[in-house]
Amino acid sequence: MAQVNMAVNLGGLRMKNPVTVASGTFGAGQEYNDFVPVDELGAVTTKGVSLHGWEGNASPRIAETPSGMLNSIGLQNPGVQVMKDDYLAWLAPHDVPVIVNVSGHSMQEYVDVIEALDDDDRVDAYEINISCPNVDAGGMTFGTHVPSVEKVVGACRAATNKPMIVKLSPNVTDIAEIARAAEASGADAISLINTLLGMAIDAKRRKPVLARVVGGLSGPAVKPVALRMVWEVHKAVKVPLLGMGGIVTGTDAVEFMLAGATAVAVGTANFMNPTATHDVIEGIRRYCDDQGVTDVNELIGGLQC
Amino acid sequence: MEHNQLVCEDARVLANEGVGPRLFVVSLESPRIAARLQPGQFVHLQVPGMPDHILRRPFSVFDCDPQAGTLDILYQDLGYGSHRMTDLCAGDVASQIGPVGHGWQAPTGTERALLIGGGVGAAPLFLHAKALLAAGVAVDVVLGAATKAALATYDAYTALLGHAPVVATDDGSFGFSGFCTQPAADLLAAHAYDHVACCGPEPLMRIVAQMAADAQVECQVSMERRMACGVGACLSCVVDTTDGKRRACVDGPVFESSKVVW
Repeated sequence: MAQVNMAVNLGGLRMKNPVTVASGTFGAGQEYNDFVPVDELGAVTTKGVSLHGWEGNASPRIAETPSGMLNSIGLQNPGVQVMKDDYLAWLAPHDVPVIVNVSGHSMQEYVDVIEALDDDDRVDAYEINISCPNVDAGGMTFGTHVPSVEKVVGACRAATNKPMIVKLSPNVTDIAEIARAAEASGADAISLINTLLGMAIDAKRRKPVLARVVGGLSGPAVKPVALRMVWEVHKAVKVPLLGMGGIVTGTDAVEFMLAGATAVAVGTANFMNPTATHDVIEGIRRYCDDQGVTDVNELIGGLQC
Repeated sequence: MEHNQLVCEDARVLANEGVGPRLFVVSLESPRIAARLQPGQFVHLQVPGMPDHILRRPFSVFDCDPQAGTLDILYQDLGYGSHRMTDLCAGDVASQIGPVGHGWQAPTGTERALLIGGGVGAAPLFLHAKALLAAGVAVDVVLGAATKAALATYDAYTALLGHAPVVATDDGSFGFSGFCTQPAADLLAAHAYDHVACCGPEPLMRIVAQMAADAQVECQVSMERRMACGVGACLSCVVDTTDGKRRACVDGPVFESSKVVW
């Protein structure tokens, strides 16, 4: 059995395999380290961080839906200082690239977060979150219009030379247009999809299940939408893609790579199965073995249609 | 704080029996979790046979035998997942993560403790009672339930304590007629307690927390929230506390009641 090259390059971020985690589903790796040593991952993507931290939304914050779940956490996070003192300190001895997910209520806050982190060599890349559906200011409101995408991404680009991934919302009419704006404004890579805006209702009580009423849908239910959007964006831009949305198995991950993703993120599946990331990495390797693929990069955009 | 090592293991169902109206006890062989489970910790269980329901369900542990490697879960047939649980048969296998969370911890030097369990909330207090008794603490137990038939833990507590627990039923079919807060208040007034522990519906815990505060007795409650990851990562299950929003799964489920913002 030939050794499969699993290493990929995501816009300047070198990953030993194509698998990272979806921001917000994995902490900064510590909570899952009993199940999957964080060093196994191609990269760890942290929970979104804002400058001084946010409290997040009221409970209930989640609802189970068919083959998926809604969340309205609202980017609860303790701020950049705790990110540095606790999360990055914990990650430092581990041999894994770190992607910090950057959130802001204002354009300036995104820049402030990057500036607070940029001289820290424990940060290998940023993922700019302009797609969270669960905050009133910032988040998705920046990521659904071309002019604001250009402004935020351009401002972040000016603040760092590190690899910068821009995370897109699926809650748009034309995701290719948004992706092109992100690329033109300096994104080194594009990640997609964030959650789909959805809602669950308790008919007996005649009330929404989530305290915030609406939330973001994730899990296997969104995979077809995510695949379609990765494929559309792959055709629209040259920068590499980080694909995500309902990935549970190695085969799911391979499908995203065939649609055009260079790397993939495992999100909600971590909640279903705490070793999901490990299983996806092994599943990709097995697929390559079975298919006689010696370099995982061969899969990227390999869809025949 | 020492790291609470989590494991994910396939638990084998040994038995799954009805013990009251919509109440069941499932016994599981889960040696790695049973070996280290502390009173008040829980397991995060994937109910088999419902793949389109993707989330695990948190279940408090009623009883645990670390030597035999087994644990018992008392559960109520309440929603889709717990209803599906009732179909489990001996020999079935269910993946569970555990032991999760921060359990009961009576203050050092506790001589007398009052444990108050409402409904299935009686279950997670059982191992606490066991541990306190083993440590020589005097333990008073108050159980509340809708009806006599719903007092599923009554016999177990009676055997453990060597006498019957104090009981209240909403319909007056057994013990005190009414909510268990009244007998709990009577006991609080009659004895000097060092520790109160309560698990049950949130209004019960809120009232007990207030009674304990009035009596100036340390009090802990076990909080329940909708939960996704069960390991502290997703922040779905937060509880409002005086220290901000804290995770029920790993910062709790047991909290000092004085820190909970009700």
